Amino acid sequence: MLQTLLPILIFAALALGAAGAVRRIRLWRQGQRTPMVWRRLLLMPRRYLNDLHHIVARDKAMAHTHVATAGGFVAAMALALVVHGFGWRNPILGGLLLAASAVMFVGALAVNRRRLNSPTRPFPRKLSRGPWQRLSKSLIAYSLGMFLVSLPIVGFTPGNLVGVAPTVLGGGVLAIVLAAVLVWGLLEMLVGMGWGGPMKHAFAGSFHLAFHRRPERFDDNHPDASPKKTHDVHRGSRSTALFPLDLTAKTLGVEKPADFQWEQLLGFDACVQCGRCQSVCPAYAAGQPLNPKKLIQDMVVGMAGGSDARYAGSGHPQQAGGIDVGKPGFGHHRGGPSDAIVPQLVEAQTLWACTTCRACVEECPMMIEHVDAIVDMRRFITLERGETPEKGAAAIDNLIATDNPGGLDNASRLDWAADLEIPRIQDRPEGVDVLLWLGDGAFDMRNQRTLRSLVKILRAGGVDFAVLGEEERDSGDVARRLGDEATFQRLAERNIATLSRYRFARIVTADPHSFHVLGREYGAFGGDYVVRHHSTFIAELFDGGRISVAAPAQAETVTYHDPCYLGRYNGEFAAPRQVLAALGVDVVEMERSGYRSRCCGGGGGAALSDVPGRARIPDMRMEDVRTTGATTVAVACPQCTAMLEGVVEPRPRILDLAELVAEALVEPAPAVPETSTSSPSREEEPA
Amino acid sequence: MAHEALFKPIQIGKLTIRNRVVSTAHAEVYATDGGMTTERYVKYYEEKSKGGCGLCICGGSSPVSIDSPQQWWSSVNVSTDRIIPHFQNLADAVHRHGGKIMIQITHMGRRSRWDGHHWSTLLSPSGIREPVHRATCKTIEEEEIWRIIGDFAQGARRVKEGGLDGCELSAVHQHLIDQFWSPRVNKRTDQWGGSFENRMRFGMEVLKAVRAEVGDDFCVGMRICGDEFHPDGLSQDDMKQIATYYDATGMVDFFGVVGSGCDTHDTLANVIPNMSYPPEPFLHLAAGIKEAVSVPVIHAQNIKDPTQAERILKGGYVDLVGMTRAHIADPHIIAKIKAGQTDQIRQCVGANYCIDRQYQGLDVLCIQNAATSREYMGLPHIIEKTTGSKRKVVVVGGGPGGMEAARVAAERGHDVILFEAEPQLGGQITLAAKAPQRDQIAGITRWYEMELARLGVDVQLETRADDSMIRDLQPDVVVLANGGHPFLEQVPEWGYSDNPDESLVVSSWDILSGKVEPASNVLVYDTMCEFSGMSTADYCASKGSTVEIVTDDTKPGVAIGGTTFPTYYRSLYQQSVVMTGDLGLHKVYREGDKLVALFENEYTGEHEERVVDQVVIENGVRPDESLYYALKERSRNKGQIDLEALYAATAQPTLAGSGDFALFRIGDCVAQRNTHAAIYDALRLCKDL
Repeated sequence: MLQTLLPILIFAALALGAAGAVRRIRLWRQGQRTPMVWRRLLLMPRRYLNDLHHIVARDKAMAHTHVATAGGFVAAMALALVVHGFGWRNPILGGLLLAASAVMFVGALAVNRRRLNSPTRPFPRKLSRGPWQRLSKSLIAYSLGMFLVSLPIVGFTPGNLVGVAPTVLGGGVLAIVLAAVLVWGLLEMLVGMGWGGPMKHAFAGSFHLAFHRRPERFDDNHPDASPKKTHDVHRGSRSTALFPLDLTAKTLGVEKPADFQWEQLLGFDACVQCGRCQSVCPAYAAGQPLNPKKLIQDMVVGMAGGSDARYAGSGHPQQAGGIDVGKPGFGHHRGGPSDAIVPQLVEAQTLWACTTCRACVEECPMMIEHVDAIVDMRRFITLERGETPEKGAAAIDNLIATDNPGGLDNASRLDWAADLEIPRIQDRPEGVDVLLWLGDGAFDMRNQRTLRSLVKILRAGGVDFAVLGEEERDSGDVARRLGDEATFQRLAERNIATLSRYRFARIVTADPHSFHVLGREYGAFGGDYVVRHHSTFIAELFDGGRISVAAPAQAETVTYHDPCYLGRYNGEFAAPRQVLAALGVDVVEMERSGYRSRCCGGGGGAALSDVPGRARIPDMRMEDVRTTGATTVAVACPQCTAMLEGVVEPRPRILDLAELVAEALVEPAPAVPETSTSSPSREEEPA
Repeated sequence: MAHEALFKPIQIGKLTIRNRVVSTAHAEVYATDGGMTTERYVKYYEEKSKGGCGLCICGGSSPVSIDSPQQWWSSVNVSTDRIIPHFQNLADAVHRHGGKIMIQITHMGRRSRWDGHHWSTLLSPSGIREPVHRATCKTIEEEEIWRIIGDFAQGARRVKEGGLDGCELSAVHQHLIDQFWSPRVNKRTDQWGGSFENRMRFGMEVLKAVRAEVGDDFCVGMRICGDEFHPDGLSQDDMKQIATYYDATGMVDFFGVVGSGCDTHDTLANVIPNMSYPPEPFLHLAAGIKEAVSVPVIHAQNIKDPTQAERILKGGYVDLVGMTRAHIADPHIIAKIKAGQTDQIRQCVGANYCIDRQYQGLDVLCIQNAATSREYMGLPHIIEKTTGSKRKVVVVGGGPGGMEAARVAAERGHDVILFEAEPQLGGQITLAAKAPQRDQIAGITRWYEMELARLGVDVQLETRADDSMIRDLQPDVVVLANGGHPFLEQVPEWGYSDNPDESLVVSSWDILSGKVEPASNVLVYDTMCEFSGMSTADYCASKGSTVEIVTDDTKPGVAIGGTTFPTYYRSLYQQSVVMTGDLGLHKVYREGDKLVALFENEYTGEHEERVVDQVVIENGVRPDESLYYALKERSRNKGQIDLEALYAATAQPTLAGSGDFALFRIGDCVAQRNTHAAIYDALRLCKDL
């Protein structure tokens, strides 16, 4: 009976699943369309095995589980098609099918075990319940059912097993039970895959990998790619520049799900709700109303239409649904492909809580681009609705009026250096080696100390450098992250026009945000420069023997805080550590460091939107520092410095790498050249 | 950004100043060997530049002529080319840290003394005597006028050749230029006096000669008065007219404005306003001048706080603020603002110890910062942590000496416990601050309180440390700074008793602390003639008492410096306090419910009596030595301070030795001196701990 039923079941499930898949593709294609090049699906297997799996493999147990479950399923499904679907009941194939089912079964048990809730092993908060909880049972059902139903092919029958010939009645009952288990498994695995069950992730994920908007993330030979593959840094370019917005478009930014690029909708749909993003999101940890996992699910709800009632994971803190798994209360947020997202589906505060730190993107095994989506939606709020939160709006107004977010006279950008007599590039028509880009930290007294230290280092290293002075404008970073693409593009174009008038080999800056924007994002507007963060440049000065430092007088323990825009955005993890090593201080690493560094809370305009939470992100970060026992935290970003110094004392001291180096310089060049030798009073003969 | 206006660079002439803060010209009294700047002088200004000061104008009243005596105040001698290489050292030291430096040049005319050195005949437009310096002078002749004009030009040349960034012509404080300006002093009828143009002529010729000598690019400014505050002197309107007149020449790069003239004791006190004045009392005068001129205006006088300075600059009253005493108290004021350490700024309290020493021809020192002007000796403004062993330091006494010892020892990284018997820190500063118009002196204590808290010193108040307590702590170093008590037992006939009910007299401490209420008719007997007696009299008068203050010295308050006795006199005269000199107190006895004080005249031997309700005696401090002698024998150094090491400001040799604790005593528990002496000893003793 099963022999006749099975092919029907399999093909019916496949057909139903395929129908669902067509509908699913249509849902994705509600987004802004680019041609769908089917050929790109061929890219998928390599991207899966090489790139995606590399991220999954950061959690070894989960990686093995997934290999067993997914590998077992794919093999078992293919073999089942041949053996049961087309009826080629070859014992060898049957044996392979049994083996594949068994492997999948073992994997399924591990999946299930992970999701048990016991006093010693509580259910992981990052995971979702609901259909995802069911999936582990379905996997068991499918693999067990497929195993049992395939036993006869290699000569085993239930009768053989129990030693008695099955009665017709007994065999019938068993067959019905087995058929039911198989139907359950096939419904979940094949029908569910097409119709939005948890297995959708395999289908959407495969397409997402194939049609990913940032193909360079998979390109190991990209110029930006990590130099070598390590166990925790995935390969490919970090591809972190935001996509430019066409300012002539009818609607600016994303108002409704259909305004996203279709690949973005596809990407959201690939989410497996594993909650890795939730675990690393600083805003979520601080109890601000943002859970990146929920946000992606909100996007799926919007794409498919309906409410978030069926969502069974942690919600956005402070909002209905609470932060506890399974707490009822979802369902208040509704959306549809052509309905405005904010505030019905996602509240604006959720979008403004993001620090754009990319920790979620870095961790996402499905390589979903959360930050792009958030900025797309911010663009609409800022450019179409003019509803940037208060201090953000003020910063933008200032940028428009004064070219810097503080609303200060841009000509005062060099005030802090009035006594340093820094050469201006305007006076160096022949060009300089280094253009020192000051950034808006030049207006901040705290950061001026960093800049003075950097100038001291450059002088000690005999670096030929100059500054733009009042001609330098804000890079546009904050405007862009706050969604004001128009102001960003205006600033970018004007800075590029300014830079085009002068000759320099490279730009050096102590501001990772300027570093990122100038180095990564100006290219789209015709500004291509060699840009070095000061940590990289100082490491080069050490390497070249151009500066040297004295050994520390007293033993000091230092930890290093990776700025997001230097580390995760641009992959520079090594140079700052080389600098610290050159200083000879004891370095201890925080648990969250390198690519997993926790944001200071100051990126993406979050310091301006200042969304309230349970805790402050910099306080949490300082707690990470304190845990190491370090007395100093070395920083490499003005924003991180400001955020961390906002933590109440007593706390470890906060010093920029440049300050640490300048402090230790041997035979430091005078902070100021001996003006007396160049003063006209000395050169003129007395009358 | 905080302090945006303060940190806005400014162009003066061709010169860029990195911020708006100026250390204005004052006589340092550090130039020696015929007026050459010393290492001390250079280091004093280098420290200000290191601390972030934008512009230093050094050398208050540096004479350009040989007959403007330099020696009385050891001022810089600009009348000889010998000064040029010294200027180069000075300029290099200041420029090394990004600061700019100019010098004030002048001829003081009649405002000096003639009775020494070259025995110069002093000069003035009309030979009228100067009262503050009791200086008689001759009427200047035309030839001398032209000689001095030439001297100014040569002086300016030397400044320029020495690499300084500019010079300021002093036309203030009744120097020769403004002696010509002021109709109060200039009674001439020739072309140098009378009409406005004639009175302006000397200054104008000086300016022209200087400009011709140094050219257009060298910075030349003028320091002028805002209002002489004399009915026959120059008013604010006159000064505006004068400023406009000189500004119109285009030869002046900046004006410095000082409110008030200063050729009387009373007006002189205005020039360097002590703690009895409100903040920036004469800003309006400077703002008036700023209205009249087209170039930057600098104004000093009681601007001590960064927020105050920012407010003044933001308001646009003047272009640069002079924070001169603020820099004497803390040359790192700017660096601390920039480092977000405004709470750590040691703020000037207006005690005027600096300027009152200067008027006596003594080197300028700060009452609270003993490192100022001693940088050349290695006394640090920023105390380095020790690289040696961590010691346990016990300090007894929370007066200025004890607080400084605790601060410095804690900065060195030691474990410090400070015991103070009273419920608050401060010692005698707390008493001093009780007097009318003297409350700001408590700022000294306030800074120490904040620093000791920041440094984690274990301050135990209301704890009278004794021998066994100290022994139990097993200290490495014990610093006694436990002061003393009012010395009323010196003359038994005064009738002092430990029992307040029997004692015929009370101390100034009893009154100022509030322990004893002033009676209705009070006699203050003051042998010290310093602040304490005057403060006590002022305090009693302010509470409504009828007060007479009597001294056996020549006049009450006679030992108080020139910028502070006038403010006491203003208050005492206003309240009809009788001030009597030359009477020694022989005996006090009771007669009915009154007290009779019997005096003897110092010079005639005649007796006088006063019948009063209360006799308050200020007879100085008697050291409390019992704790010292209890500890002395057991200490490894028998309580002795190595004086060679102390005076050289190097480590005490006993610290390197072993044995029981090292014992040092400082301040009034040794012998009465003053706040600065206690702090200085504490600093030089503890800086190498």
